[in-house]
Amino acid sequence: MRLYLEDINKAFESKVRLGIMSILTVNESMDFVTLKNLLELTDGNLASHTRNLEELGYIQSFKQFIGRRPNTTFSITDKGKEAFQKHLSALEEFLKNQQNS
Amino acid sequence: MNNQEALNTLKDIREMMEKSTRFLSLSGWSSVIIGIYSCIAAMIAHYVLAQTGIDKTGILFLFAITLIALSLLTTILMCRHKAQRQHRQLQLDLPTRRLLWNFFLPLLVGGILCLSLIWQQHYGLTSSLMLIFYGIALISASHYTYSNTRYLGYAEIILGLIDSFMVNHALLFWMIGFGIFHIIYGIFFCLKYEK
Repeated sequence: MRLYLEDINKAFESKVRLGIMSILTVNESMDFVTLKNLLELTDGNLASHTRNLEELGYIQSFKQFIGRRPNTTFSITDKGKEAFQKHLSALEEFLKNQQNS
Repeated sequence: MNNQEALNTLKDIREMMEKSTRFLSLSGWSSVIIGIYSCIAAMIAHYVLAQTGIDKTGILFLFAITLIALSLLTTILMCRHKAQRQHRQLQLDLPTRRLLWNFFLPLLVGGILCLSLIWQQHYGLTSSLMLIFYGIALISASHYTYSNTRYLGYAEIILGLIDSFMVNHALLFWMIGFGIFHIIYGIFFCLKYEK
């Protein structure tokens, strides 16, 4: 019973970070503004969460300029993919065991 | 963490994945209205074609442009209305841009091909090609919005192919494909998603 709980990743406990990882799992890349709107967040709020995930090595960002406006896009790293997959499996496992007991 | 929390988390993940890849503000009513426009347009075109001594091509061409513009405008307004009801805003974000590109690319190719045929006065296959390319556009777009739009696409392609074997019933097939099919699909869509 204890085993799978270790795999429930603390980094993904926040709903926002979970959302970012979900979105980047199914999209090759995603720009800051779309991400912000999808998650219904403010600039600062999203920036702090993406910085956090980037520091963990789960996502990477690319900064470029479209005209004069800065445009940041994000994509998931292999490490992030693996960590998120593990987290999902742990959740599934948890639910399965709950149903059996 | 308890059972409910884990379930909610999985539900959130699923919702985010869906919302970020698909355009979900598509409106069923716009399909019904476009179907009605098309039926009326086909009847007017039938009347125009029966006239003699006027520049039919010019009139029908202007008429077609008006119909396309009216249909696009209706769709945009209805989608915006639906987005507002879902407490969202209609904007050109990544899922929307992907949908537009995948829908309009086949449509543009088919449109240019039809213009080329009309220009060379090969009128026979235009209605069939319009239906087929519209069907392909719907199937291609279905990956980026409600996936059941592909069934409308399949239906249009089959109808277009049947049309290509027939002579002299172009307008009838056109009206079934762009009129009746849109109305049926729109009603089905409303019953399923907009009750």
